[in-house]
Amino acid sequence: MRYTRVFPIVIVLSILFGLAFTGLVIAPGFASDIARAPTVGLVAYTAPEARGRKIYAREGCVYCHSQQVRNVKADENMVASYGVSKAGDYFYDTPHLLGTGRQGPDLSNEGRIWRRDIGQPARDYLIAHFINPRQYNPSSIMPSFDYLSEQELSDLTDYIQSLGAWKDNVPAEVAS
Amino acid sequence: MVSRTHLTLSMTSLQDRNNLVATNNSIESSSMRPMDRSDSATRIWLYSGIFWMSVTMLIGLIEAVKLFYPEFLQGIPMLAYGRLRPVHTNIGLFGFMSMGYLGATFYMVPRLTQTPLFSERLGSLTAWVWNLNLVGGCLGILMGYSKGKEYTEIPFPFDMIIGLLVIAIAGNLFSTITMRREQRVYVSLWYILLAIIPFPIYYTLGNASKFSGIEDAIINWFYSHNLFGIWLTTLGLATLYYIVPKQVNKPLYSHIVSFVGFWSLAAFYPWNGGHHVIWGPVPMWVMTASVTASIAMFVPTFATMVNFGGTAWGTWAIMKRDIGYRFSLMAYACYVGASLWGTGLAVMSLNAKLHFTNMTIAHVHLGFLGFGVPGLIAFTYFYIERSLKLKYSRPLAEWHFWLTMLGIVGYVVSMGISGWVEGSAWEAGNSPQGTMVDRYPYHVARAISGLIVLLGQFLFVTNVVKTVNAPAALTATSPDALQS
Repeated sequence: MRYTRVFPIVIVLSILFGLAFTGLVIAPGFASDIARAPTVGLVAYTAPEARGRKIYAREGCVYCHSQQVRNVKADENMVASYGVSKAGDYFYDTPHLLGTGRQGPDLSNEGRIWRRDIGQPARDYLIAHFINPRQYNPSSIMPSFDYLSEQELSDLTDYIQSLGAWKDNVPAEVAS
Repeated sequence: MVSRTHLTLSMTSLQDRNNLVATNNSIESSSMRPMDRSDSATRIWLYSGIFWMSVTMLIGLIEAVKLFYPEFLQGIPMLAYGRLRPVHTNIGLFGFMSMGYLGATFYMVPRLTQTPLFSERLGSLTAWVWNLNLVGGCLGILMGYSKGKEYTEIPFPFDMIIGLLVIAIAGNLFSTITMRREQRVYVSLWYILLAIIPFPIYYTLGNASKFSGIEDAIINWFYSHNLFGIWLTTLGLATLYYIVPKQVNKPLYSHIVSFVGFWSLAAFYPWNGGHHVIWGPVPMWVMTASVTASIAMFVPTFATMVNFGGTAWGTWAIMKRDIGYRFSLMAYACYVGASLWGTGLAVMSLNAKLHFTNMTIAHVHLGFLGFGVPGLIAFTYFYIERSLKLKYSRPLAEWHFWLTMLGIVGYVVSMGISGWVEGSAWEAGNSPQGTMVDRYPYHVARAISGLIVLLGQFLFVTNVVKTVNAPAALTATSPDALQS
């Protein structure tokens, strides 16, 4: 060790990094248990939804809202109502927006709460909530997105209403 | 300066205790351009790091206020929480941590290799370009061009320029290491090698790739955890391994232990990324591998603990005298704490409860605010005292130390308790929006802690600026006074 050379260090470091690279980057590309196909019933984003998704990413919604229901006690209520998130649910998501924190609620099933079939009242609520969240919940700490244009608010609403909405259209026998 | 025979002195941590760099004295003249003088790269990188450290703290404080008083600065799109947050993290990563510790690296490498830097000019130029590029990248995020994926938000082309700059920096450092006069390789250099070699691979992968869904998430975390683990942590540890033995004026406790610590870190850290998706919709083996590696991180953590603990043992007198050394110890303690905490959070049952809560924020800040900030401060005080031979204001530094200490403890404790309260509430069936009122006092406490840290930082910057700009003759300390 007294005369450690640099070259062997570089080689061994490359091997160690290469192992992790193989395990976490290359292997998932070949793994059969990572979804190669969308979950049954999942539909691709429409143009307004895709634009809304871009706004969601750009405005940093992901920092406070996860889109991931886990099979754990802390998520019990969501699991009971909506089920656990599956890999195939994210098939069309580039970039992923799974999130790492929940200052606010998980949004992976928000489209099943503010359903499209409610019609205009759901849209009105969502848009007014984006503009002033404290109008509905005085203790909310969500930023006010009053600077978004009407078109942007509409696209964002389309995206939020798409979240998990497809699950309602899956026949029960297929889903189970 | 130093004679060549001096350079062949045995390789101990004290080999350059007189801070003699192996630059050729005859060419070091006033006719040189400032950017070619030795340590010019160090200075630009280090001072930029300190600048960005202040900026990221200020942005952090604004965000902290917004998290309990959301109307604060409302109505300005560029200052919306969701845009400030990625700027806060990216400046923390690429401004403060990367630049500050690269400053330390540009200082250490010529001394540990007893070789002048391959190109001082390249080192300085990369620093300036890095600064401009980071400003561009952050403006891009603020104006709404974020890439939207955590830690890869900096938009094209600024993200790719960072990658190219790191290649230039790595080439500069690696060439110096290859041409070195001192054959033996001290542990700091191992860590620097680990930092500079794989970076371009995972950085490009994380920033330029277009995967989708879960694969994108796994690769995102592989990239970002490597950024924390084998870029920032390694540069930070390299710095501590370099300055602590000098501050206490004795060799490292054990080179065998640092050997074990280094290789176990290099083996396990790159596997840690997957622990962000524990309980997520990922294959079981990704979780198993990441949880195992996260728990195995106990080995390097324990090695670091023993090594620095052993080196610091019985140095109470130095602790009392040397404020920079106290910051080293603070960084060391928080490094061990943050690492053990990370291992704990990767335990599946704890992760289930705490993953999405403020506990994660507490853990991250113990790493960045507890380890990154004091580590860089320790290096700065060390650099001012030992290399510039200047004497900084002791009362200011004393205040700085205690304010920083108070701020870190306040931050980590308030967010830690908040995280536990949230996790418990969720497990009892409550929702995140239902715990808003419970979180309020902790969010206020966190902002106050941030304000305290920022006050300390203000004193620190004042102290550094005044010391560095003061006429040297008035403040220079004699080396004898330092060696006592």
